[in-house]
Amino acid sequence: MGSLLEVKEVYKRFGAVEVLRGVSFALNGGTVLGLVGDNGAGKSTLMKLITGVHSVDSGEIWFNGQLLSSPRQTHSPARARRFGIEMVYQDLALAKQQDVAANIFLGREPVRHFLGILPIVDREAMEIRAKSILDELGIRISISQLRAPVAWLSGGQQQTIAIARALSFDPKLLILDEPTAALAVKETEHVLEVIRELRNRGIGIILISHRLPDIFEVTDRILVLHQGKVAADLVTKNTSMAEVVAHIVGAGPLHKGGLV
Amino acid sequence: MRTFLAITVLIALFTAGLATAQGRTVGVVLKTLANPFWGAMREGIEEGGKSVGLTLIIQAVPSEQDVEPQLNTCLNLLQRNVNALVVAAINATNLLPCIREANRRNIPVVDLDANLDPAILQREGLRVVFSISSDNRRAGGQAAEYLVQKKGNNFRGKVLIIEGLAGNPTSAARRDGFRERLAQLAPQASIVASLPGDWDRLKAANITNDVLQRHPDLSAIYAANDTMALGAVEAVFAAGKGGQVVVIGTDGNADAVRSIRAGRLTASVAQLPYLVGFQAIENLAKVLQGQTVPSRIIVPTLVIDREILEQGRDPLLRYLR
Amino acid sequence: MAAASRRLRLVGTGIRRESLLVLLLLAAVMAIFAPNFLSLGNLINVLLATAVIGVLAIGVTFVLAGGGLDLSVGSIMAVAGVAMGLASQSGLPWPVALSTGLAVGAFLGWCNAVFIVRSGVPPFIVTLGMLSVARGLALLISDGRPIYGLPQEIVFLGQGRVLGIPAPVWIFLLTTILGQFLISRTRFGYHTLALGDNETAARVAGIAIEAMKARLYTLSGVMAALGGLLFAARVNAADPTAGIGYELLAITAAVIGGTNLFGGRGTVVGTFIGALIMGVLQNGLNLMAVQPFYQQIAIGVILVLAVWLDRVQSRERT
Repeated sequence: MGSLLEVKEVYKRFGAVEVLRGVSFALNGGTVLGLVGDNGAGKSTLMKLITGVHSVDSGEIWFNGQLLSSPRQTHSPARARRFGIEMVYQDLALAKQQDVAANIFLGREPVRHFLGILPIVDREAMEIRAKSILDELGIRISISQLRAPVAWLSGGQQQTIAIARALSFDPKLLILDEPTAALAVKETEHVLEVIRELRNRGIGIILISHRLPDIFEVTDRILVLHQGKVAADLVTKNTSMAEVVAHIVGAGPLHKGGLV
Repeated sequence: MRTFLAITVLIALFTAGLATAQGRTVGVVLKTLANPFWGAMREGIEEGGKSVGLTLIIQAVPSEQDVEPQLNTCLNLLQRNVNALVVAAINATNLLPCIREANRRNIPVVDLDANLDPAILQREGLRVVFSISSDNRRAGGQAAEYLVQKKGNNFRGKVLIIEGLAGNPTSAARRDGFRERLAQLAPQASIVASLPGDWDRLKAANITNDVLQRHPDLSAIYAANDTMALGAVEAVFAAGKGGQVVVIGTDGNADAVRSIRAGRLTASVAQLPYLVGFQAIENLAKVLQGQTVPSRIIVPTLVIDREILEQGRDPLLRYLR
Repeated sequence: MAAASRRLRLVGTGIRRESLLVLLLLAAVMAIFAPNFLSLGNLINVLLATAVIGVLAIGVTFVLAGGGLDLSVGSIMAVAGVAMGLASQSGLPWPVALSTGLAVGAFLGWCNAVFIVRSGVPPFIVTLGMLSVARGLALLISDGRPIYGLPQEIVFLGQGRVLGIPAPVWIFLLTTILGQFLISRTRFGYHTLALGDNETAARVAGIAIEAMKARLYTLSGVMAALGGLLFAARVNAADPTAGIGYELLAITAAVIGGTNLFGGRGTVVGTFIGALIMGVLQNGLNLMAVQPFYQQIAIGVILVLAVWLDRVQSRERT
């Protein structure tokens, strides 16, 4: 095929509840896909299948021409990471009392050998690398902020730190779950800027959000889920907020969308 | 920040108290003031200090478990360059490092209430100038004497002994002293049981109940301390044997005195901690003046019953606290 | 420039300047009001008196920083001491006796971890249970009585001097240096703080949560055992009733020194300072012949003030 991510007729049930009932869509690198739908539509379950937290009951997920997950192919979070899939959770999963560098490199702190034998964390290297990742994202952050506990930064800055951490794994697909939900206008704008920057680098991005204005500002396509099915697969510039809302509540006609 | 600093200073000031170190100073380390026995001992020590003109620094620790803090306190007293040290060690070994340091500085050490073990001291090469306490064995013996005096030389009744904590040396000494003397004075009396009451009132009451069940004609009970004796008394009266069973305790504390006056507890062998403290300081003053005193000083114990209390003639009564 | 900033960071990062300030202020007050406070002999006495609790507090710092809690350190202290006493009494050479004590502490600490991780019962409850179990074990194997007559070499650990400084003080200082290195410079330290800060984040970052907890509680057990050995050596007897209440003092020292009770922040040097604050207070009040009951009140007040001040400061910054 040629697309980065391909989801084919995926079904998933938990006990008696069928959460996903035949979902299919595709995504290329360098594209931002907005994922919208009401609560219970299946958005987070779909993401969990992609990131390997759960396995598909039937259907397939392909990534970069390789089989990522299917009833025959087991999947895991570690595997998703190896493939180059990263997710930034809604609660950010940041250690608030630790500093920026520590958070970005959590679990993979760079190490140097003291006196040749004792492995100690290389703070300087960590700081330099953290700063360069943030600079590349166009995020301005001072040295003192870099060394301060993450809790002292604003919500928007924390969001970008979380994204920076995901980026330090060099992902090909980045999934963002409600990144602007708790942010003020200016901070939201910064985050959207970062998303655009990442798209320009060729990374595929799935943006889950309730905030339709943000969706319309930054996405190339919009996927609407309704009760476990794809209600609509739209090109952002060809649709309107009203149409999207209609699909969300299940009032719109089923629409066949195409790849951009 | 400034408020916090101010508050810290205030706390320190609030708890500040100056102790002078002029003239001859004696450092005293007690066990815990939470126990009235030691409160009385402290009074005796203070009065003793006044009577011989010694300045005292008296310290205690919050509880009888505070083994390390007592050692720290003892070492701190040496830092204050005292002329003599009086210690009531919580156990036989926790203050040895402090005693060693005192010996090194040629500061005389007094073993208050005989908590140190002479064998251990000798093995460690340490010296104390004297050891002072009441004699627990003699106390037990006095209880036996009182019992025989009440019941007559041909006493052949049944006796229950309620011991303290199993393995505790004080308890063992009192029990053995009582047993020995009773065997000497009234060989026909029989000890039907000797059980540990753990210094606990309720436990002693339960033991008494059980024994009364098996031996309804019990004549007497000797308890190694007053708390247990008072528990035994309750059980005796509850069984309706108030007049029949003689109950003797040990310590002579305020509760016991009240009970004796009320006609419930028959008697108690009173320790006189006030006198122990007083005499400890008196004898220490002699040592500091270069005189010799016996290395083991025994302070008498006094048997008190209703009669003795009401008559109030015994000279030792004034040391009862 | 880089070297200067590194030095500052060594002192400033995580270590609350306030703790150091309080210590110095308290020492100044004591120097004025307490006779003989500033003499070298007395200052060494302060370190000596603080050593056992200090060592316990260092172990507890790791557990607290990792988001856990260990209430059993006082009891583990006693069992370890008694185990060491029994081992040496039965004729084993002194290094074996010491290792036995440490091994007992490590084992009980590990047991804490296993229960906490497998059963889902909160650490407060599990370690509270261990507090009773370990105390009971100590009393059981010692028959309720202290074990006297420890070998000379072990007694040296508690009463000997090296270069004029008591052995327990050396051990306390060494433990502080190593502990501070561990918590602030190694991956283990970073992961511990992250675990206590946000367990989910740590898990998502790939940190082995269960293994980390096992290590932390085992470390706490070993430190408690070390404290127990020092204690027995100091007071010349392995006492099954040792360490009653010490767990609260250890936690107090850690918290006064800046360790977050809920995890995510803590330094060993801070704990060292916190322990010293308590030690200076007790020593000074002792020298001033103040009743010991006042000391307990003062420590409680300082603890609450220390935590309150910390909250006020963090509110000011965010």
